Amino acid sequence: MIRKQPWYPIVYMFCVTAFFSTVVIGFTRLTSERVEANQRLALEGAVLAVLPGVQDETLSNPELHRRFTESVGLPDESSGGAYTLKEDGRVAAYAVPIEGRGFWAPIKGMIGVKADKKTITGIAFYEQSETPGLGAEIAKSSFRDQFRNKEISSQDKPLIMRRPGETLGRSEVHAVTGATQTSTRLEGIINAGLKQWQTQMAGKSEGGER
Amino acid sequence: MKSIGSENRKLIVEGLWNNNPIFKQVLGICSTLAVTNLVLNTAVMCAALVFTLSLSAATVSILRSLTPRNVRMMVETLIIAFYVIIVDIVLKAYWPQMSTNLGPYVGLVITNCIVMGRCEAYGNSNPPGRAFVDGLFNALGYSFILLIIAIFRELLGMGTFLGVSMPYFGGAYWDKWIIMVMPPGAFFMLAVVVWVFKSIQGVKEDKAK
Repeated sequence: MIRKQPWYPIVYMFCVTAFFSTVVIGFTRLTSERVEANQRLALEGAVLAVLPGVQDETLSNPELHRRFTESVGLPDESSGGAYTLKEDGRVAAYAVPIEGRGFWAPIKGMIGVKADKKTITGIAFYEQSETPGLGAEIAKSSFRDQFRNKEISSQDKPLIMRRPGETLGRSEVHAVTGATQTSTRLEGIINAGLKQWQTQMAGKSEGGER
Repeated sequence: MKSIGSENRKLIVEGLWNNNPIFKQVLGICSTLAVTNLVLNTAVMCAALVFTLSLSAATVSILRSLTPRNVRMMVETLIIAFYVIIVDIVLKAYWPQMSTNLGPYVGLVITNCIVMGRCEAYGNSNPPGRAFVDGLFNALGYSFILLIIAIFRELLGMGTFLGVSMPYFGGAYWDKWIIMVMPPGAFFMLAVVVWVFKSIQGVKEDKAK
């Protein structure tokens, strides 16, 4: 009997795994285009959400995509890797991509900065899987709205998160709660993203001003 | 044929009522607490569980004579994960908004004790057809309790049903119970629902005696 052989479980496990994996991989391939298009739209939505004056929540997907292509400049060297909003040929605001590890899975988002490179115009996330009701509150407008008009500090940390209830300075926002890992990690993600962008921009603007 | 019919009827009564996964077995509480603050999210979650549980129980049953005892748990997990990933991909491709709303909870269906429990307790030792029925009605037993909880949480907490503002509860006279849409509200609601249903069940059992 083949099933009495000591190697049977291993061979069996191998075959079963191979079969189910093949089906899943095939299925992923079939839908990958749609999934990518959706992710692309989510990113474009986040960019529009943080740039001032271009967001309209009633837009349908094709309209959103059209508005994005019409009004947003893609990242390049002169913008330090940020998406740009141009008005009369000049940059009116930047959407700086931020990315890093959240509590469960990567958090990816955008942070909008005015042309003065100091004032924040908004923050939005296009990928996050934080705990619903807790860490996932970062995606809600109640949390995101506090970033508007905050100033990037020139200190060690560009932005600081305080416990809810504490009084806030120019460059400080309230965390989701005092004890979520999401807040701690998000603070790191935002600051790393902003700093990287600032270093890339610093080279540029100094060169330009001289 | 008669015996198959009565067997199925027994499975239906067991899954929906006598042995209900939520108020009798108290399984799958994690998702019960997490996704029940909006009726729409809950309905999608329930559909995902119905799909996963009925099909994985049937699949486990089909493979039961081939699967060696010592690796059966691994095989069961693999099968469950397979169906859950299919649900996850379909949501990501065709309903990205819902996929974001449910977040990690779609993936966590894999570890939902009801699924593993039914595969182990029933699918492993019964023919595919009956395993399917058993899985289906256990999932439906889970679903109707979840929907009851969700309807109350959404109505009391936000004054809406499926996102539509309801008379009285949506108006100015109703002071919305914010706690109902937050995690603690789920605990209160779950406890009340389990209490009510266990009481009804208790009364019936007493009468039967």
